[in-house]
Amino acid sequence: MSGAENNGLSRLLSGEPAALAHAISIVDNELPVAKDILSAIQPYLGKALVVGFTGPPGAGKSTLVNRFIGDMRRQDKHVGVVAVDPSSPITGGAVLGDRIRMSEHTADAGVFVRSLASRGHLGGLSVSAARIVDLMDAAGHDVIILETVGTGQSEVEMAEIADVRIVVLAPGLGDDVQAIKAGILEIADILVVNKSDLPLAKQTARQLKGMLVLRAAPEREVPVIETNALDGAGVSDLSEAVMNQHTQMYRPSCRLNSQSRYRRLLAQATGRLAEKLVQQQENADLDAVLEALTNAEICLDKAACRALLMFKSDSLND
Amino acid sequence: MGEIKPEKISDVSEQVEDTNAATERWQIEYKTQLGAEQAIHNRSGIEIKALYTPQDRSDTAYLEKLGFPGQPPMTRGIYPTMHRGRTWSQRQLIGLGTPEHFNARVKNMLKAGASALSLIPCNSVYRGYDCDQVEPELLGTCGTVVNTVEDMDTCLRDIPLDKVSVALNDPLPFTMLAQMLAVADNQGVSWSKITGTSNQSDYISHFVANHMFYRLSLPGSRRVLLDAIEFCTDEVPSWNPLSVVGQHMQQAGATPAEAMGLTLSTALQYAKDCQVRGMDPNKFLARFTFFFDISINLFEEIAKFRAGRRLWARLVKERFGVTDERLMRFKFHAQTSGCDLTRQQPLNNIARVTVQAMAGIFGGLQSLHTDGYDEVLSTPGEGAAKIAVATQNILKHEAHLCDVIDPLGGSYYVESLTDEMEEEILKVIHKIDDQGGMYSAVENGFVQAMIGDSAISFQEQVESGEQVVVGVNAYQEQEDASARPVLERPDTGIMQEQVSSLRKKKAERSQVSVDRATKALRETTQSEKGNILAAEIEAVRAGLTQGEIIAVLREELGFGHPLIVA
Amino acid sequence: MSKLRRNPPRVLVTKIGLDGHDRGSRIVASYLRDAGMEVIYTNPWQEIVSVVKMALEEDVDVIGISSLATDHLLVPKLMQALENAGLAHIRVIVGGIVPDLDEVELKKAGVSRVFHPGSSREDIVATVDQLAAQALQARPTF
Repeated sequence: MSGAENNGLSRLLSGEPAALAHAISIVDNELPVAKDILSAIQPYLGKALVVGFTGPPGAGKSTLVNRFIGDMRRQDKHVGVVAVDPSSPITGGAVLGDRIRMSEHTADAGVFVRSLASRGHLGGLSVSAARIVDLMDAAGHDVIILETVGTGQSEVEMAEIADVRIVVLAPGLGDDVQAIKAGILEIADILVVNKSDLPLAKQTARQLKGMLVLRAAPEREVPVIETNALDGAGVSDLSEAVMNQHTQMYRPSCRLNSQSRYRRLLAQATGRLAEKLVQQQENADLDAVLEALTNAEICLDKAACRALLMFKSDSLND
Repeated sequence: MGEIKPEKISDVSEQVEDTNAATERWQIEYKTQLGAEQAIHNRSGIEIKALYTPQDRSDTAYLEKLGFPGQPPMTRGIYPTMHRGRTWSQRQLIGLGTPEHFNARVKNMLKAGASALSLIPCNSVYRGYDCDQVEPELLGTCGTVVNTVEDMDTCLRDIPLDKVSVALNDPLPFTMLAQMLAVADNQGVSWSKITGTSNQSDYISHFVANHMFYRLSLPGSRRVLLDAIEFCTDEVPSWNPLSVVGQHMQQAGATPAEAMGLTLSTALQYAKDCQVRGMDPNKFLARFTFFFDISINLFEEIAKFRAGRRLWARLVKERFGVTDERLMRFKFHAQTSGCDLTRQQPLNNIARVTVQAMAGIFGGLQSLHTDGYDEVLSTPGEGAAKIAVATQNILKHEAHLCDVIDPLGGSYYVESLTDEMEEEILKVIHKIDDQGGMYSAVENGFVQAMIGDSAISFQEQVESGEQVVVGVNAYQEQEDASARPVLERPDTGIMQEQVSSLRKKKAERSQVSVDRATKALRETTQSEKGNILAAEIEAVRAGLTQGEIIAVLREELGFGHPLIVA
Repeated sequence: MSKLRRNPPRVLVTKIGLDGHDRGSRIVASYLRDAGMEVIYTNPWQEIVSVVKMALEEDVDVIGISSLATDHLLVPKLMQALENAGLAHIRVIVGGIVPDLDEVELKKAGVSRVFHPGSSREDIVATVDQLAAQALQARPTF
């Protein structure tokens, strides 16, 4: 890194917001100096508590996050927020509106908020979300909140980054609690039933507790907390539960040992690349495989093997 | 339509045959001359044909669908005499600078023959702040700075409150109303003689659109509105504490049918809330009034108002069981829509406002505000305001628009369109019913999404040129910027004086009284039994400013964060 | 996917002052999103110090201020605050109802462009694109 970049790095490590913001952009845009910055901050990671919030739209997640930030600030913690919204698959653009619910904290110097677009990443979190969380960690934030909408794979992705994983549900959302994907129960460290003033809330909480018993590892305790983000009821219970989870964590922070995450990301990326190549390549060898497949001379799995073997390195230039 | 009394059956079938032949002939000639055509739809999505004939009026039950003015179904008007008895009140909005300035302008207008006045406060007041709490650049530019009861007293000096009808642009929690009632006491005018309307009392419309007026949380607003309606029903019986507003939603992009449907749904919600509180529909419904935007779609707007009027009469009967016909009256004020006006070639706006005004008049409004042609350029100047008033007088006296009640009644097109608009409006009402009523529907963003979609849809029509806007996407001209009117700004010195005078008043008042009144206001708010409007009146008497009152209510009831949908 | 930009322009769309209308700003946000940009969209009534903080944290290229009434009169203060915070590279545009004389003052204060009612999608998108490129060039190094 150049002298100027070193300077930027030290400003980042000392917590200067401008340097952090700039570094985030460099990483999000995958500029050349990004890898230098990321490797330079490695020794400084691991101090922050990363709390992930996910859940279906309409559960009041953003409003709850807003309250949670307030609680953290009351405990004098420096908070970083990474709020992720989906990019349009057609235009690549995005309207990022998570700040709307966090208006109380807009002017608070102890809160740093960055809105991220998923940038085409199918799972809902951008590839750089984890790295951006790292930057905030290195910059000295005590608590980092990762907020995503629970669609597609984002729960899984959030699970790989966050230390404490919170799933926010609302009573009567999209039919029954039975509709909740089983995956959520495996992932959540804390389940929240928001809109606790609604009549169905208690029932939903009970149903969730019942379902927790059916998990793969039922001995792991997962609190089910009722909150009302609008008036703040239950939020201090949530904060307490988060702190408890942190001190008694059943698994170490997997964000820092992230090879499994990158293996999964790599598998997905190679899959997409192979798909693109098969769809678009024109060559005689591929045609032969297709012919054989069409005439049922070989099975699909065999055809896939042959297709993979035929892509030479020069055809892989993007 | 007279009844057909055929002498012979063959005469009728001959007539039908003649009609069918004539229809067919016209259709053929039309198609031959014009060829294939794109279907035309109005803004509410209804397809508009080239011609309407008696065959479009399959239902000729006059009494059932049209009736007479002042009787159900009310389609033709809410009063037997309508504009022949009393032409619509001309309520030109005034608001600029200081209370003294306002008072002077009002006196001029009353001298010139106006019988009603409208008070618009400064944007700082709309947001619930006193003049010493906001940046000085923002003061008095769009309305009058009214912070204390003394300010209100100055505004209304020598204005006989028992003779002049006052419209207060006073969003919930109605601090201006509290101030005005205190001033009435000082004038020795009994509250029973006071007439007028709380123009911006519809907090649901502010939550959805025009957020500047939205100050307290939704549940808090609900409580305060009910307190105000209850208070006024008992203590200020000729005052309309509620004006349900369709203007904001239409200006935010709702189609005319949506705006009417959503507004009626809001009114039904408020009526239900009142009923749940234990109030008598026979009392509170009498004081429900409405306020609409009038867009330039002449016939669509006329049909919208006629359909709305017919629907309201039916809905209050169906849902609240009222039988007194006076309670079925759909009283509305309307304002020509600023959204149709353009910055380009501003004088064209005079023509636009004329058409919009006609739509409102033919629609049967009770009160009309016409915009100045410079509305889109800045706060309207006096010259443009005069033309806006003259427009109304020209329509009244020269075009004789008041000579006949509901002159378009019976028109094949207008009656057909009124029926179709009624259908569209009902669809919207049923959608809101499915959401559990308007309060729930705005809480969960359903209404905002509906309006947002329509806004984008209209924008696309303008972008593609499908909707021509003269001077903007067609018939453009090179314009001379210097030809545009220069706007008047209040003297910054005068505004500074206003701020200093407020500070002085705050320093000179009795802190003991202020503290006592603040405590009482807080306690009333915390208790579910107290009436918040009554407490506000005591508070203004004790010297609290509107900013201070609203701050207390925001603390107790919650700051109003409108649901912003990105 | 290849349509995705490497560095999509990031634009803060917000309101200062007292007005609360959001029809215009919502439409502009959708224009910019449709053009592949990332729009940080806020609620109205932001303080100037908050706008500066948001612009800094989100590392935006352009700030779009939606203004009705006289809220635009506060924009020169915003320009000064941005400069004080080391964010002079960020381009600022104003959209809404702005009298001609005020437009002159805003330009003098450093506002790049004022959009009036009736502005076209093409004009807005092309301008923001251009301004974002300028901001990128002018930004301080890390």
